[in-house]
Amino acid sequence: MEAPGATEGLGEGGAGGGGEAGADFGACRDEEFERYSRQMIVPGVGREGQLRLIYSRILIIGAGGLGCPAAQYVAGAGVGTIGIVDGDVVEMSNLHRQVGHATSRLGMKKVDSLISHLRDINPLPAYVPYTFPVTPENAADIISGYDLVMDCTDNPTTRYLISDVCVLLCKPLVSAASVQKSGQLIVLNCPPTPQGRVDGKYAPCYRCCFKKPPPPSSMVSCGEAGIMGPVVGLMGVAQAGEAIKILISSLHLPQPSPPPSFPPLADQNLIQPTLLIYTYDLSSAIGPYSFRPLKMSPRKKTCFACGENSPSTLTLEGIKSGTPNYEQFCALPVPKHTLPSEERISARVFHDMREKGEIGRHVLIDTREKEHFSFGSIEGAVNVPFGRLLMRAAEVKRDGGDESGMLPGVVDGDAPIFVVCRRGLDSQEAVEKLKELGVDKGGRRRIMDIAGGMNAWKEEVDPSFPFV
Amino acid sequence: MSTPKPPKGYFNILYFASAGSFTSKNVEALPAPLPLSKLFATLEERYKGIKESVLDNSLVTINLTYVDLPEGEEDDASGEGPVIIQEGDEVAIIPPVSSG
Repeated sequence: MEAPGATEGLGEGGAGGGGEAGADFGACRDEEFERYSRQMIVPGVGREGQLRLIYSRILIIGAGGLGCPAAQYVAGAGVGTIGIVDGDVVEMSNLHRQVGHATSRLGMKKVDSLISHLRDINPLPAYVPYTFPVTPENAADIISGYDLVMDCTDNPTTRYLISDVCVLLCKPLVSAASVQKSGQLIVLNCPPTPQGRVDGKYAPCYRCCFKKPPPPSSMVSCGEAGIMGPVVGLMGVAQAGEAIKILISSLHLPQPSPPPSFPPLADQNLIQPTLLIYTYDLSSAIGPYSFRPLKMSPRKKTCFACGENSPSTLTLEGIKSGTPNYEQFCALPVPKHTLPSEERISARVFHDMREKGEIGRHVLIDTREKEHFSFGSIEGAVNVPFGRLLMRAAEVKRDGGDESGMLPGVVDGDAPIFVVCRRGLDSQEAVEKLKELGVDKGGRRRIMDIAGGMNAWKEEVDPSFPFV
Repeated sequence: MSTPKPPKGYFNILYFASAGSFTSKNVEALPAPLPLSKLFATLEERYKGIKESVLDNSLVTINLTYVDLPEGEEDDASGEGPVIIQEGDEVAIIPPVSSG
């Protein structure tokens, strides 16, 4: 897995940016001609475009649902050096979408698994493995060795970090994200412009588009919300397409740092920043998919990372030493739900008391999504997905109705109510909502949360429960 | 998501990602015209809590073009006066997605 050595036959180097396609761009070897001929004859590529790819270095951060398809095409196209960063290992639940891994490589580091797949596709590039996650301490050191970065990660913390470092190091960033049934793709910081330059229209960074991260409570991961393989795959492939295009056109080369009197770049040098949104609708046969290209704004004067005053707020040294604090930035106010202990019951105790008939008649509400519920549930549970419960609560409140309007047929009567969800957060909020609406009849009726949700049920009561 | 034309006197609003889960809708029609500055308040009235957990972090487009929200401070839009959402417009609420 050592880095260099795969570009022999093409003269020296490949060490990125600086050297324009020129002088000793040796002839492609026969194998290269044959391997790349179908893309080389596409108008706009040619021998020169191919050589630019061969002399380029791409860093792919994340070897998952986006990184796998992206890497396949980047490797296939013959990009000379391909770095891949990821600290995870291959799990069974990855395989429906992470097409660079295999059942035979379960448990292997994702980076090693993907690289073995890529070598099979194309042994010519140099593959550089980084089998650990990207962090504020290592980000700049890794990224500085590449011409272009692809953000294929899965959390907001690293997205802001990667974007910030790309701004500071003048690297273009091709960013994609995907969850459940939709995906987003955007090319950022391309062509790269020095931080703080705002005398013309320049490409935006991630923060120019998304100034604040969403509250963690509303963030859903693929593990929680699910993800369709083709949706994330499409975004990864599109990412590779943009990266290849940028390298072939040399758009990744940084704008030289200009003297103060340097005239602003002409507007045509700004690629219209575009956020592509892909939506795939399982429930509608009429509109099975849609692509929406959204016109974004150029670099923002007020941007924390690249705007007018950014050199005083964001530096490489700062990032390394913990400023800004990305963890904190992305984990701001979490409405923490911890009900008092008298309103909670452990899965084990609930099960045992129920078995012994000590609970008597009761209502058991399961607030998971119906797809989760369909895998299995506690006997007698009624499925009221959390979102629907919140909606009903809001409606009842708005229309000035009382608790009788809330979930008719489910919470009528006086029997105690138990609420269970996946991991025990939503259920606590549900208990609060029900009380807020008076379903607890001023405290005369017990409403309790089953602590830890179905996850705890599996651990404490039924190890065979199919928890997803 | 196929989008039917909004009825006369309405604009369409599309809810992507977590905006869609919050509202349980992909699209709906709201009465036009509506000043952009009133959009979030209008939605908050319909979907209590949506401002804090979705809208404040989302970007907004009108007819496929990003719009800056008048937050009082930076109105760098070129000072053409307040933006009004018109009948027939397509507004989209786009929260950041970060999984992959």
